[in-house]
Amino acid sequence: MEWTRKDLLSLYDLEAEEIECILDTAAEFKKVSERQVKKVPALRGKTVVNFFVEPSTRTRVSFELAEQRLSADVVNMQAQASSLLKGETLLDTVKNIEALQVDLVVMRHSATGAQTFIASKLKCGVINAGDGAHSHPTQALLDIFTIREKKGGIKGLNVTILGDILHSRVARSNMWGLLKLGANLTLAGPSTLVPREFESIPGVKVCHNLKDAVANADVVNLLRIQHERQTAGFFPGTGEYARFFGINAESMKFMKPDVMIMHPGPINRDVELSGEVADGPNSVILEQVTNGLAVRMAVLFLVAGCVKK
Amino acid sequence: MINGNKLFSAEDISGAIEKIASAIGAEFKGDFSECALVGIHQQGVPCAQLICEELQKKYGSAPVQGKLDISMYRDDIGNRVKLPPIRETEIPFDVNGSSIILVDDVLSTGRTIRAALDALTDYGRAGLIRLAVLVDRGNLEFPIRADYVGLYSTPPADQKIVVRFAEDGDPGIYAVKWENHNL
Repeated sequence: MEWTRKDLLSLYDLEAEEIECILDTAAEFKKVSERQVKKVPALRGKTVVNFFVEPSTRTRVSFELAEQRLSADVVNMQAQASSLLKGETLLDTVKNIEALQVDLVVMRHSATGAQTFIASKLKCGVINAGDGAHSHPTQALLDIFTIREKKGGIKGLNVTILGDILHSRVARSNMWGLLKLGANLTLAGPSTLVPREFESIPGVKVCHNLKDAVANADVVNLLRIQHERQTAGFFPGTGEYARFFGINAESMKFMKPDVMIMHPGPINRDVELSGEVADGPNSVILEQVTNGLAVRMAVLFLVAGCVKK
Repeated sequence: MINGNKLFSAEDISGAIEKIASAIGAEFKGDFSECALVGIHQQGVPCAQLICEELQKKYGSAPVQGKLDISMYRDDIGNRVKLPPIRETEIPFDVNGSSIILVDDVLSTGRTIRAALDALTDYGRAGLIRLAVLVDRGNLEFPIRADYVGLYSTPPADQKIVVRFAEDGDPGIYAVKWENHNL
C-alpha cells in the first residue's frame, strides 16, 4: 500500500488499507521516540504551520513535538493573535501563510469542513487537527493504534464509545475508522447525547444503559463530559451523570476483566471516570498520549511526501 | 516473469555470497563476537541473511543480524513519484563500539548508503562500518565505496538492476528498464 494523499481531512475518506498504512508507519516512528537520539531528518527543510483557530493544548503540543522530531521548521499561529480578528477571511489568512512557502498546515477550526475547504484551495498539505463536531482524524488514529497494539487487531472487537457522542468529533472519527477495520461499535450515553439516528449506520448499536453498553466490551472509550452542556439542559447534573454513566470500581465489576479503558483527555475525574480506574491496570490513557506522537509523526511524514512543489 | 535481461543466475548469486562471506571471514579472522550484519531494506535484508548462513557454515558462528529502513533519512522526500512503505528497523545490539557491516543488494549512486550511515549514527557511535554489496554497478554520485563486492555489472543508465532471491521466484539478477519496474 502506498500513500498518495497530500491532505488528511477525515477517516471517512480513507480506505481500510490507507488507515493500516498510517498505523504501520506509526509503529516505526514510535521506535524513534524510544531511541537515545529522538529525531530523524525526514522533514528537514520543510516548514509546518500549526494554525489553531480553536484553542488546543495537548493536540498542538503533540503535533509540535512530532514536527520537531521530524526536523521540520515549526511556526505556531493562534486565532487570538491572527488577522482573523481584524476581519480577514480564513481563505486570505491561509493564502498568506502559503505565500511564505510553507509545506504543511496543521489546522484546527470550530467550523465543520473548514479544512476540506482550505485544502481544495492550497497546494501545500493540510492536516485536520479537529473541525467542529465533525472530525479529529489523528485522535482516532492514535486510539485505533493503541487498540491494535494492545489487542493485536481491530476486526471483531467490541468497542463502546461512551459519553457525549452528539458533540464529539472524536467519537465520529473513531466510529468511521473502527467500522472500516471491522470492529463492532456501540455508542452509549444519555439519550439526549446519543441520538438513535446513529443506528442507521451499519455496524453501529446505540445504547442508553451503561450495563448493556459495556458488559461485552473489549474496549471502552470515554469522552469528556463538557460542563457547558449541562447548562444547555442535556443532562441534569454531573453528579447524576456520574451515577448513571460514570465508569468506576463498581462498574468494572460487570465488565470483562481485560477491558481496555481509554480517554482522549482531559479527564473530569469522578465524573465520567473515577480516579481509581483512570490510574488502574485497565487504563491505557497515558499510552494513548505516547502513541499520539508516533501517529502524528507518521501522518506528517506521509502527507509531506505527497506535497508537490 | 521479469521483463528484462538476466545478468546473473541463481548460482552466480550463491558464488557471490560465498565470496563476500570469505572476505568478511578473513578480515574478522572467523571471530564475529563484536560484529553485526545490518541489511538495508528491501533486498539487503535477505542478502545479509544469506551471508550469515554462509558464515555459520564456514566458521560455525555468525554475526548478530539487524535490519535498517532508511526512508526517514532519504534526501528526496517530496521529489519522488511514490512513497514506499516504511519497513521494520531492528538494531538488536549496542551500536557503540561495534563493528558493523552494512549489506545491500545493489550499490548504485551511494545515496542509500549515505542515508544508512546517518541512520546508524543516530543509534550510536560504531567502532567501524564496512559495506558489502551483492552487485556494484559503478555509477557513484557520492564518495562511497564498497568493501566487499560480490559481482560487477554496468547496464545502461535507463535500466535498474533487480535482484531476486529464491523466495521471490525466478531467482537471478536482472537489468530492467525503469518504466517496466514497479517498485
